[in-house]
Amino acid sequence: MVQVTPDTAAPVPQSRARRTPFFIALAVGVAALAIGVATALWHRNGDDGVRDGTAVLNLVLPDAQGHEQALAQWRGKVLVVNFWATWCAPCREEMPQFVATQARDGAKGLQFVGIAVDDPAKVQAFARDLRLNYPALIGGYGAIELSKTLGNDLAALPFTVVVDRGGRVVETQLGPFKQARLDAVLARLLPPQSPASGS
Amino acid sequence: MRLFASLLLLLVASAHAEGIASLSPKLLPPEQAFRLSARVLDPKTIEARFAVADGYYLYRDKMQFRTEPVESGPAVLPPGKPKHDAFFGDVETYRGEVVVRVPLVHAAAGEKITLHADSQGCADVGVCYPPNPQQLTLTVPASGSKPGPLVEPGAKGWFK
Repeated sequence: MVQVTPDTAAPVPQSRARRTPFFIALAVGVAALAIGVATALWHRNGDDGVRDGTAVLNLVLPDAQGHEQALAQWRGKVLVVNFWATWCAPCREEMPQFVATQARDGAKGLQFVGIAVDDPAKVQAFARDLRLNYPALIGGYGAIELSKTLGNDLAALPFTVVVDRGGRVVETQLGPFKQARLDAVLARLLPPQSPASGS
Repeated sequence: MRLFASLLLLLVASAHAEGIASLSPKLLPPEQAFRLSARVLDPKTIEARFAVADGYYLYRDKMQFRTEPVESGPAVLPPGKPKHDAFFGDVETYRGEVVVRVPLVHAAAGEKITLHADSQGCADVGVCYPPNPQQLTLTVPASGSKPGPLVEPGAKGWFK
């Protein structure tokens, strides 16, 4: 029943007037989203070969006892590689959280590896104090250089890299890794249940 | 709906901000966060200073100075702000301007001196820089004349 009367016609321009700001807001929103996504992609792919974890998995570094350890031994696991040092207070502050996460998700195929830009004796003492439940390797100049190629161009610490089961670097974090964000990343990469209790 | 669009914007903006915060462009390079300069006050004294940018700090016990070929005595460091460190115990930190005196031994007027300054600091956002060795070259002024000019290191750290 189309009743074209002045009474019913009146709301039409009014609703159009109401819609216009919405469309502007939506357009701005979509544009912002596009810029956001583009920026995120640019950051992810900004450096050459950033997303390939081969260089990480090819690392062979001594542990605090001097035994050479190849990161390739953890290939196929979700690898969280954390560059740290005892002289870096923010690094030490976030490590108990890594210890807890390793204990929680280790059975699901999560492996933390610490690479300390530091003196082995200090690393050993700190690892003992903290009851570190994952390897603490000693990284020299090569490890610093590697962290630079992964986007940490100032060689600052802590710097953390998440490598998925397929050997791809899926996440990098300069500065403290918030537990909520780490959990979100791991939820994406790890099976919901441990293989032992699953199926 | 406008609220929805605003929320979307906010979400995108925060995701965007986090993307940037997680990478280094927001952080100053150590040479800018901790700006070193030095001058020779007189043939017996080098005055070195670090201008520490807001939001950054240096560790007092990580600061080291040495000179060559002229030898120098232990640097006179001002007291820092005490900070308790769970692993290292009580440490001291510097913010703002730090002025250090390095006593020279047997420096002759006109002589060129290389000052090596090692420092290590962090940013309040929760990152630390590796120890940063820097150096600069100074010329000893004639005895009784004015202090030498202020010198900054060239852009040649091992970060570059």
